Amino acid sequence: MQHWLRCAKIAGAAAVVISALQGGVPPASSQEAYRAPRTADGKPNLSGVWQALNTANWDIQTHAARPGLVAAGAPGAVPAGIGVVEGDEIPYLPQALAKKKENFESRLTADPEIKCYLPGVPRATYQPYPFQIVQTPKAIMMAYEFAGATRTIHLEKSPSNPVDSWMGHSIGRFEGETLVVDVTGLQEDTWFDRAGNHHSDALRVVERYTARSPDALNYEATITDPKVFSRPWKISMPLYRRLEKNAQVLEFKCVEFVEELMYGHLRKQPAK
Amino acid sequence: MNHRILTSIGLVSVLAMLTPLPTAAQSNTNVPAATNVAAAAALPRTPDGKPDLQGVWDFKTITPMERPRELGTKEFFTAEEAAAWERDENKRQNRDLIDPRAGGLNYVPGGVVPYNEFWYERGDKAVGTRRTSLIIDPPDGRFPPLTAEGQKRSEARTIYDRNNQIGRPLANSWEDRPLQERCIMGLNAGPPMTPGAYNNNFQLFQTPEQVVIHTEMVHDARIVPMDGRPFLSIPQWKGESRGHWEGDTLVIETKNYKRETSLRGSSASTHLIERFTRVDADTLNYQFTVTDPTMWSKSWTAVVPMKRSDEPMYEYACHEGNHALSGVLAGARADEKKAAEEAAKKGTN
Repeated sequence: MQHWLRCAKIAGAAAVVISALQGGVPPASSQEAYRAPRTADGKPNLSGVWQALNTANWDIQTHAARPGLVAAGAPGAVPAGIGVVEGDEIPYLPQALAKKKENFESRLTADPEIKCYLPGVPRATYQPYPFQIVQTPKAIMMAYEFAGATRTIHLEKSPSNPVDSWMGHSIGRFEGETLVVDVTGLQEDTWFDRAGNHHSDALRVVERYTARSPDALNYEATITDPKVFSRPWKISMPLYRRLEKNAQVLEFKCVEFVEELMYGHLRKQPAK
Repeated sequence: MNHRILTSIGLVSVLAMLTPLPTAAQSNTNVPAATNVAAAAALPRTPDGKPDLQGVWDFKTITPMERPRELGTKEFFTAEEAAAWERDENKRQNRDLIDPRAGGLNYVPGGVVPYNEFWYERGDKAVGTRRTSLIIDPPDGRFPPLTAEGQKRSEARTIYDRNNQIGRPLANSWEDRPLQERCIMGLNAGPPMTPGAYNNNFQLFQTPEQVVIHTEMVHDARIVPMDGRPFLSIPQWKGESRGHWEGDTLVIETKNYKRETSLRGSSASTHLIERFTRVDADTLNYQFTVTDPTMWSKSWTAVVPMKRSDEPMYEYACHEGNHALSGVLAGARADEKKAAEEAAKKGTN
């Protein structure tokens, strides 16, 4: 693992430079230069309403624009985007790669996002909806607009969950300027994106949140899942503060928007 | 704590009967002022000097929202009375002891008792103050008189509930099913939070800028701005909340509900004031006042003394595990099909 991490770091460094040139995450040196404001207990204060501004939710890898849900016209199409995966390659095991391709083919019906299911980690971070970090000394609340998903980041000891869950079990700690969150107990039914990138119940995600300026965070997530990937891999992206006056996370309780899709065939016909 | 929404028929009535919230007193009567002052001085505070209300709080109790009529003007039980009442009430509420043919609780004879006792985690104790109801105002411990419209709504609800227990539940579409069966809103998550069948807990997060009320029921994080910002006045399922401090009490005002709340028969015009006061290390007094002029002729107030919990909260992925809703709808369609086939058979004979 250590060895792997080192290799990934070297490979990652190159990718970081490239993506910096493309307007992505800047080189590490500029991250280190910024010192975030502190909370009363002396930790970097990451509270705020944040949002990714990229196309990772459509496809975490580099992709050209392509058709999506045809009936929805232009809004249903997929915007082009620069990948957020370091090296732009996801190290699938052969069977898992076949499953990814299968998912891709059926993505317009099989993506769990379509059913308003809890998005899991890391996807919740880069869906095109804001999320809010509320930071307290013992626990951090991350509340996502999509589906009203929530996670509690435990900064104190917290026994792991007895069963896997959609949003997992998160243990956090601060390493200097960085909030490191170790996420386990994730079940297998979420995807990374609308392109069918997937994982198993052996998924472990280690996230790193670091303020890079007053209004932006660097977000990194290292993905480990030996049932699906041949080695750990990493995604990274900036997250932007929502600067609107009175910015806040509103309700997007999408269940009511998917009931026709999920239960329409069970409606009384003719309806009366 | 982590139960899925089960099936159906009767969930509504379950809710209705479920139980109630407790009480303790706060600005009103029961805690001597001196105790409050001493206890308050010893309470933990956040760096900005506010009482630290953070942690997981448990609001399960068997004390009913409304005082049972037979108790008349009796506001408090003695210790012995409370113990006897708990014993009787726990027996009365025990779903495993209800014969569906005979009915019981709110279950009509010949109907269905959809959840057995296994699924409940409603608490088996009366509130610590030994109040006989969670409602403290009106002083009779009961909801105020209904308005004419409230009366109509209440009657419609009674019929709906009864039809869901016997005969064929109304399920032409999911929209005929209550919000909690659709996993849009929780049974007890509110606002206001009221003790119910299970998931009677929430975690409070507190910073100078906002407070978060995170309920386990349907994983809802209500983020309450404390900075005096105006209401957006857009309808939200759980309304829009704004908070401020009045001395050592956290006060949250909520309005702009999208439609009815989890309270019986209340409407989108509900206006809610919640008051959270930590009275000692292990007790958070939760007092709330509900005003809905379309439903009740005046405001009413209830108090639930919540207990500090060391238990973790779990993820309640209700919609993701909601097999009940498709089951209810499919069952209704199967019934119709069967009825149509039988009618056709009769026709041919």
